[in-house]
Amino acid sequence: MTAVSASPKGGALSIRNVAKIYDPDGAGVVALDDISFDVGAGEFCVIVGPSGCGKTTLLNAVAGFDTVTSGEILLDGALLSSPARRPAPGADRIVVFQNGSLFPWKTVLWNVICGPVQQGRMTRANAIRHARDLLGRVGLAGIEDQYPGELSGGMKRRVEIVRALINEPRILLLDEPFRALDALTKSVVQEYLLELYDLVPKTVFFITHDVEEAVFLADKVIVMTTRPGRVLKIIDVDIARPRSVHVLTSDRFLQIENDVRTAIHGEAQKAFEAGEREFA
Amino acid sequence: MTTIIRSAPSRARPSSTPVARTILWIRKRWKLEWILAAVSLSSLALLWEFAAPLGIPGVENLPPPSAVIRESAKLLHSELYWTAWGLSLRRIAYGFLAAQLVGVPLGLGLAMNRVALDTIFPVVEILRPIPPVAWIPVAIIFWPTRELSVVFIVFLGAFWIVLINTIGGAATIDPNYRRAAESLGSNRRDLFWRIILPATIPSIVIGMAVGMGLAWEMLVAAEMVAGNTGLGYLLWQGFEVNAISQCIVCMMSIGIAGLLSSQLVRLLGRFAAPWQRP
Repeated sequence: MTAVSASPKGGALSIRNVAKIYDPDGAGVVALDDISFDVGAGEFCVIVGPSGCGKTTLLNAVAGFDTVTSGEILLDGALLSSPARRPAPGADRIVVFQNGSLFPWKTVLWNVICGPVQQGRMTRANAIRHARDLLGRVGLAGIEDQYPGELSGGMKRRVEIVRALINEPRILLLDEPFRALDALTKSVVQEYLLELYDLVPKTVFFITHDVEEAVFLADKVIVMTTRPGRVLKIIDVDIARPRSVHVLTSDRFLQIENDVRTAIHGEAQKAFEAGEREFA
Repeated sequence: MTTIIRSAPSRARPSSTPVARTILWIRKRWKLEWILAAVSLSSLALLWEFAAPLGIPGVENLPPPSAVIRESAKLLHSELYWTAWGLSLRRIAYGFLAAQLVGVPLGLGLAMNRVALDTIFPVVEILRPIPPVAWIPVAIIFWPTRELSVVFIVFLGAFWIVLINTIGGAATIDPNYRRAAESLGSNRRDLFWRIILPATIPSIVIGMAVGMGLAWEMLVAAEMVAGNTGLGYLLWQGFEVNAISQCIVCMMSIGIAGLLSSQLVRLLGRFAAPWQRP
């Protein structure tokens, strides 16, 4: 098999009483307040919450771009991050950013293979074979020699997900990756993501504002409160995989979507009013 | 009822006679902008030619292009003129190249090291507003030869803009590129060669393009004051011996040389940053 091997490499994430306070000796903005939840190995976990609820802060702490003020984060039972220990960013926790971070000065192929080649995990030839295979699976065969600037938004997002997956990360971190896409492109890319996920079940930590997207993708939706960010509700999505766009109109889907929407609506209202006060 | 539809004789069918094909070939390649450029340039030449005879004030002493061509035939065939070209180009090449060799690495280094930037940058900010032309007397005293002082002035013309653009480009790289590279296993060396340097190249190229223009300005000024050869010197000599045609030929030569140098920089830019659309 030439695809990325499906051998489980763990990826169980445990967030325990994590808090993050910016500027602890000054005004002290509490971004995260006592967050605790678990994401099982291979589980697709989606975080939804209003703007400024600390979703990205949490993701950055897992990725190693930021520290936590208290609490700890464990990956497969081992301590990943604590106030005393900020992990280095690594290929076991790859991030797909909101605005995209494909290197515009390198071709698609180089972008995809740079991870395994730089880490010395694959030979160049081997990495190229993997890259072509994965790109083909997301409908991008034949674009290897193009520059990212020549691709559409939806294509770029797919390339970036492939670039992450070829590293066989233990956990894939996606920070509102489809936010800038139009609705049609978004649904196509979501389906490709699910296809890859069904092929190689990885632990996924996915951030979004979009309730429909959350329920469509997730095994588990975590609804966060507005600042300070807390876990408001954890909603399991028991819709069978593989999922296609047809589930969007099923009764079960609409019911869960409604649950999430109801939970988040109050928070969105609060966030909005807080914003109004800030500007008043 | 039947209707007979008579097919209209097709107008756009390409004829196969050689003449028609030639006309088609010309039509395809002759874009409107070229025609307009030709019209505007020849109008300017005509206006210049007939300005004095028509009694337009202020241009009584300006020789018309026909006279310039006639009078400069000797100059254009002289070794002096072509040597001047060679020397001026060489000074530009040395000064400009030195500005890149010093400016680009220094800019990258300063952008990556906060302490070094805060230490060196005040010096840059003090020296940068001084027009390079103002350095000419000091340069002549300081450098052992006139040649070196002219090259130094050319260097200064290109240096500041290259330095500032390199620092600016390297300091404003999207931090997510760095984060992504670190996640993908880049070490410090990879980070520099594969992220910071390529991400800065477009800014460096812009600095080079502007720097090339400034280099020619400084060259002409420096050759006028400090040189005894070169296109700028020849221009000034023409003025001193009242050979206006020589001045005009030198001005045009400098214009052409500047244009060619800028094209070269643009070409280099496209080669160095192939991912950027022209």
